[in-house]
Amino acid sequence: MEDIHIEGVHEAFFTPTVNFEVATGHCEIAGESYLEETSKFYARLLDWLRRYMSTVKGSLTFDFKLSYFNTSSSKCLVDILDLLKNYQNSGAEVTVNWYYDDSEEELEEVEDFILETGLDINKIPME
Amino acid sequence: MIIVFDYKRTTIIIVNMESGITTKRRTVDNIAISYTGIFDTEILSVLAKEIEGTLSPDDKVNKKVFKIFIELAQNIAFYSLEREANNEGGDTGVGTMVIKNFDDHYVFSTGNKTTMENIIPVMEKCDNINSMSREKLREYRRLQRNMPAGEKGGGNIGLIQVALTASNPLEYSLIKCPDGTYFYIISVRIDKE
Repeated sequence: MEDIHIEGVHEAFFTPTVNFEVATGHCEIAGESYLEETSKFYARLLDWLRRYMSTVKGSLTFDFKLSYFNTSSSKCLVDILDLLKNYQNSGAEVTVNWYYDDSEEELEEVEDFILETGLDINKIPME
Repeated sequence: MIIVFDYKRTTIIIVNMESGITTKRRTVDNIAISYTGIFDTEILSVLAKEIEGTLSPDDKVNKKVFKIFIELAQNIAFYSLEREANNEGGDTGVGTMVIKNFDDHYVFSTGNKTTMENIIPVMEKCDNINSMSREKLREYRRLQRNMPAGEKGGGNIGLIQVALTASNPLEYSLIKCPDGTYFYIISVRIDKE
């Protein structure tokens, strides 16, 4: 399987920067997520993760560095977190870091993702 | 269509690219930005840029207004009864957006045509959201987020997000139009820090 590299775009819609690496198991979603076809965009990422989990079976380090995501994107982010939680439950090594914009509201949002998915997420204020 | 503002922000200049017609409108009563027309991708991106970049000197406030704008503008695009053909061969909702600027807060409003049948559940959702504490609202958002995509009530999470971002209640009103339809207005206050 191949890496995923998507360059972030800030135009009429906002595409996040995505880097998923097979060799290292390091995954990053950064920038802004407000897409025309949200489910379609994230389906590719979810598919990559499922294949990695079933064929490579390595550890995963996931960095979320999103300064903005709309509510449609947040549903897909929960899908990713659910997948990571299941993988962790199966005994895999999974580390999730969430970099948040330094505001009360965004910290709440990360805490809600933790409550929602039961996944341990490291909360890190963004520079 | 191109929308620009004069340097004092007292006039909105709207240029229709197809017809070449230029319309100038004076902004009144604390209006910082106002727009009426189709809520298609192109227009949304122009409005988004205005909000993100230049609305207030405080980036945190701009981000809040921007987040609210994205959710409410999408509702107009999807659900407004009044529709216009878009560039992609489909149609997109027509509506109004107004941002008013006061000393210590902004008021963000959108309005669009609807029917009584369609709007009653939306008003009930607003009442429901307004009755909840912040903790309850967060719990409600977590619940809504886990509903399968495309499920009825998907518009819910947008309204919850608006209330959480603004930290203020959702105010709404309904005006009866001469043609028997209704004009639905939703407003939310965003405090300046």
